[in-house]
Amino acid sequence: MMRFAQIITGIALALISCGLVWSAERFPPPDFESGHEMPSPTTPHPRQDIYEYIDVVVLLAALGLASYLVLKKRSRRAIFALTVFSLLYFGFWREGCVCPIGGTQNIVLSIFDAEYVVPITVAAFFLLPLVFTLFFGRTFCAAVCPLGAVQDLVLCRPVAVPSWAESGLRLLAYVYLGAAVLFAATGSAFIICRYDPFISIFRLTGDLNILILGACLLLIGVFVGRPYCRFICPYGVVLRQLSRLSRRRVTITPDECIQCKLCEESCPFGAIKKPAAKWSDQDYGIAKKRLGFFLLILPVLVLLGGWAGSSLKAVAARAHETVRLAERIYLEETGEVTETTDASAAFRATGKEIEELYADASSIRAQFGFGGWFFGGFAGLVIGLKLIGLSVWRQRTDYEADRASCLACGRCFEYCPREHVRLEQAKEVKT
Amino acid sequence: MGEDNKTINRRCFLRDSLWGASLVGLGMVAGAAARKHKKTDLIWQIDPYLCTSCTNCATYCVLEESAVKCVQVYAICGYCDFCPGYFELGASVLEPGAENELCPTGAITRTFVEEPYYEYTIDESLCIGCAKCVKGCAAFGNGSLFLQVRHDRCLNCNECAIAMACPSGAFKRVPADQPYLLKGESHA
Amino acid sequence: MANTWYRCAVATALVSGIFSVVVCVFMLLNHGKSTIVDTEQELQLLDLRADSRTQPENKQLLSQIRELDLQIRQQRLRSLDHSRMGGYLLLGGVVIVLISLKVMGELKRELPAPRGGADKADEQIRRAALGRWAVTAGMALLGLGSVFLVLRPKIDFPAAGAAGTSLASAELARKSWPSFRGPDGSGISTHTDVPSDWDGETGKGILWKTKVPLPGHNSPVVWGDRVFLSGGDANDLQVYCFDAASGVLLWTGEVTRVALKDDEEPLEPMEDTGFCASTVATDGRHVCAIFATGDVGCFDFKGRKVWEKSLGIPDSSYGYASSLTVFRNLFLIQYDQGGIEDGLSALIALDGFSGEIVWRTKRPVGNSWSSPIVAPVGEQTQIITCADPWVIAYEPAKGAELWRAECLAGDIAPSPIYSNAFVLAIEPYSKMVAIRADGRGDVTQTHIAWSMEEGAPDICSPVSNGELIFLLATEGLLGCYKLSDGTKVWEHDLLEYFQASPSLVGGKLYLLSEKGQMFIVEAGPEYKQLAQCALGEECRASPAFADGRLFIRGLQNLYCVGNSE
Repeated sequence: MMRFAQIITGIALALISCGLVWSAERFPPPDFESGHEMPSPTTPHPRQDIYEYIDVVVLLAALGLASYLVLKKRSRRAIFALTVFSLLYFGFWREGCVCPIGGTQNIVLSIFDAEYVVPITVAAFFLLPLVFTLFFGRTFCAAVCPLGAVQDLVLCRPVAVPSWAESGLRLLAYVYLGAAVLFAATGSAFIICRYDPFISIFRLTGDLNILILGACLLLIGVFVGRPYCRFICPYGVVLRQLSRLSRRRVTITPDECIQCKLCEESCPFGAIKKPAAKWSDQDYGIAKKRLGFFLLILPVLVLLGGWAGSSLKAVAARAHETVRLAERIYLEETGEVTETTDASAAFRATGKEIEELYADASSIRAQFGFGGWFFGGFAGLVIGLKLIGLSVWRQRTDYEADRASCLACGRCFEYCPREHVRLEQAKEVKT
Repeated sequence: MGEDNKTINRRCFLRDSLWGASLVGLGMVAGAAARKHKKTDLIWQIDPYLCTSCTNCATYCVLEESAVKCVQVYAICGYCDFCPGYFELGASVLEPGAENELCPTGAITRTFVEEPYYEYTIDESLCIGCAKCVKGCAAFGNGSLFLQVRHDRCLNCNECAIAMACPSGAFKRVPADQPYLLKGESHA
Repeated sequence: MANTWYRCAVATALVSGIFSVVVCVFMLLNHGKSTIVDTEQELQLLDLRADSRTQPENKQLLSQIRELDLQIRQQRLRSLDHSRMGGYLLLGGVVIVLISLKVMGELKRELPAPRGGADKADEQIRRAALGRWAVTAGMALLGLGSVFLVLRPKIDFPAAGAAGTSLASAELARKSWPSFRGPDGSGISTHTDVPSDWDGETGKGILWKTKVPLPGHNSPVVWGDRVFLSGGDANDLQVYCFDAASGVLLWTGEVTRVALKDDEEPLEPMEDTGFCASTVATDGRHVCAIFATGDVGCFDFKGRKVWEKSLGIPDSSYGYASSLTVFRNLFLIQYDQGGIEDGLSALIALDGFSGEIVWRTKRPVGNSWSSPIVAPVGEQTQIITCADPWVIAYEPAKGAELWRAECLAGDIAPSPIYSNAFVLAIEPYSKMVAIRADGRGDVTQTHIAWSMEEGAPDICSPVSNGELIFLLATEGLLGCYKLSDGTKVWEHDLLEYFQASPSLVGGKLYLLSEKGQMFIVEAGPEYKQLAQCALGEECRASPAFADGRLFIRGLQNLYCVGNSE
């Protein structure tokens, strides 16, 4: 027995020198005389497609129900119940992927990468909330999105965020969206998914850093309403804009505003706009000039942003594994580092040419350079438009839910005395 | 008052046309997706021919117990007495035991079939996907042991954490109706 | 009453809050305990094991190893258990904290107390100004962040790899199968370890088999880990990229079919040629395909369309079938059409990066179905073309004509080859001509070395090992001739029909019949059949060869045949 082992070891060592040869048939599979049957490897099936379709149907139903509850029924209690359901179903039961927020990246990748074909359920998950928002406002955020749900449920001691801080912080979401699109389009990474703070909580396991991030956001969320939705969520940015155009919208009062101001403090997300006061002629004149100035510098901001974005290409391209590998190989080739990494060793084992790798990496960098113009230009545009938006006077006579910021959670309804009148009337009709 | 009505009308018109444009835009995205879509979902799988048996599969999975496990394709296996995926290279006695076995969790069982053949079976509840056996089998054996994403465990993250850490690009998205890339099988 | 409830809620919140914190601390302590690989304990175990190799009789060491191993494994399972339990406990604790906090909130809810007066105008103006400052501050932060990132050290790759312009090396091209009949269009593979034993019926030796979506008689081409081919029908023209290792269809590129002009007749190609008889070509960066409709499309290796253009529907009596050839960044199209006098034929060179026509040289020939080859002739590279009536050689950079010989007539389908200073051209059913390639101008009288006027093949191209030429006729007659003077060495009837051209791999001829039988014959002075392998599917296309593998396109499927398993 010992001898046999030594011989085998000898053969094995000889084979080392031949390098790694995959699945070479060194030892022919036996024919058993005893009639022993070879088992076959098990291949447990993935989650069946039918469940993906069921998820889409549930999403559709939840969106429909949420819209009904927000716009017709006007019941915070029912919206709350739906929120709990969504958290349990889309969050803890379904364990997250794929969500409409992350789906954005799949859609972008499928546009830019012919090899990637987007599954129909992912497309549905991405599109359905957008369509619903276009018709009914952000009812997806209200009670369907599990990320929103978990934050909505932890909100216990709301603290108002000053409106200026809100304006500044919201830039983060736009930049995040732009970066996510850039990284997805270049096939580098899905950063929305990588830094999704709540998915690890839904799964009760995950990367420790992400778990801590999620826990911190939830701790903040006890006091600041839905911090992720308002300041970070890249999909929310799209929903904001579509919600501005939506056919139906959340109204605080069921019929008319009687200017009672009772709802003033009711929104934990700072989405209630007060009636606008008339500006003095002098103020108005200054504002007009300021507006003109901002309109003029808008193209400058876009160009400046684009230039900045494109000059980030060398750093941003490191998100792509090919570029990382090429840079590592370059360092190894020039002798700046001596040890190899798993990736560089694997690359060298393939026998591919380094020149080719450099060329690939350079072309990816060029893509980042090109995409960087759009990313930076987008950031510049957003900043410019925000400055313009903060310089115009909008006529408003009533207390209104801001079309873009309103998350349709329905908290303000019961603050309105007219709502109580409506409920009384409804009760009377019933009896 | 007439002036005001005009501005409101203009604003309404603008909003309506933007609304229409957004709807058309979404329709176009839907159309593009429908033109180039798959009915089946895409899921992650390891191309065994590209795998370099680093230990990332064991450590990077978002699950505490990785969804990647070792698979034995018996049809390729040589049923060796000295299995380079089971025994450490310098093992002096061909007998199970912590001092001889490569597998850190003892997930491989070695059963005698007939002289001189032994069958190696993987207990998936113990396997952690560390690829120690894969490395041995690929280097000195037939390569019948290799890693695969086990889809009864995989959560199919939109961005697979192991795929991002994979040094050789062995992680691929494959259609859910062909969930495994087993060696020696055709993909008709 | 409410007060009692309130106190109750406060107490619950406190207790469950403390509980959650405790669980949280325990989970943090437990974190990472379930990992086994690359831990200190594992290293310790490995050290002990290495020690035991040198002291095989040390029983104490042995039990120490086993004990440590058991300890590691128990710890892992325990830790897994703990984190599972901890997760649920923490979740439960947090839920209770939240419920009690909500109850507290409900019990102590204050009535809304609006502050006096609507917002004053200056209040709003002040807020807007603050908002603008906040946005400006955000912009400044972004700017600072990007300056910081831009100033990080950068790596510039060597200039050879400048973005988008570098080409794959010639050496790599020789290792691949970049166009019809491989490097130089010679039908010779640089690899020698190609399998010679398989069976499509039993699956033996077949590594994978993948259905090709649309039909086509063009041959596969191979570059690295990718296999390309095209397919088409009256509606769609497509280029496919397969993963060479697994056979998965990586992407499908759609080439736009340019709409017919009013006076154009719709193209109805013959079954033998179809919409895409022309084999695609790759320069290692792009893959380019031409279809019988005159539509050309070029894709990068990721499947992104780089460019496409239409050359107009060619006037070809059997349907356009010449394959593309590649020279550095140029895709070469032998666009022969119409009669000799019509002046429609041309050789066109398209830039792979831009699709621009780099040069276009008119050809005084009629329509043909032969493919051009790019061959190294001495120091020079020549493009060699066959058509009725001229064999013409061009210089590849500018497309200037080098020499021409008038020696062919009729419908020319076989492609030329260059071997050992001779260009071999074939006139179907009629003759084979050997031309010395070192001439200039009209070399009809001066450089035709010999002409062998005995039944030549009508479709298959020749192959030569530098001494012997092998011709394969459609009806299955395999002939061997001397390259030096064209005398016959032997011939043998294989009794099958052939459309695929013969290939030479490591001294062996690979002959693929229409029925999918691969005859493997020794390329020597005597006929000797080495093997015969059945694919089980009809074949029209020539196979492509790679290291240890060959790729065969059947009418329906693409096969990869390999050595392993």
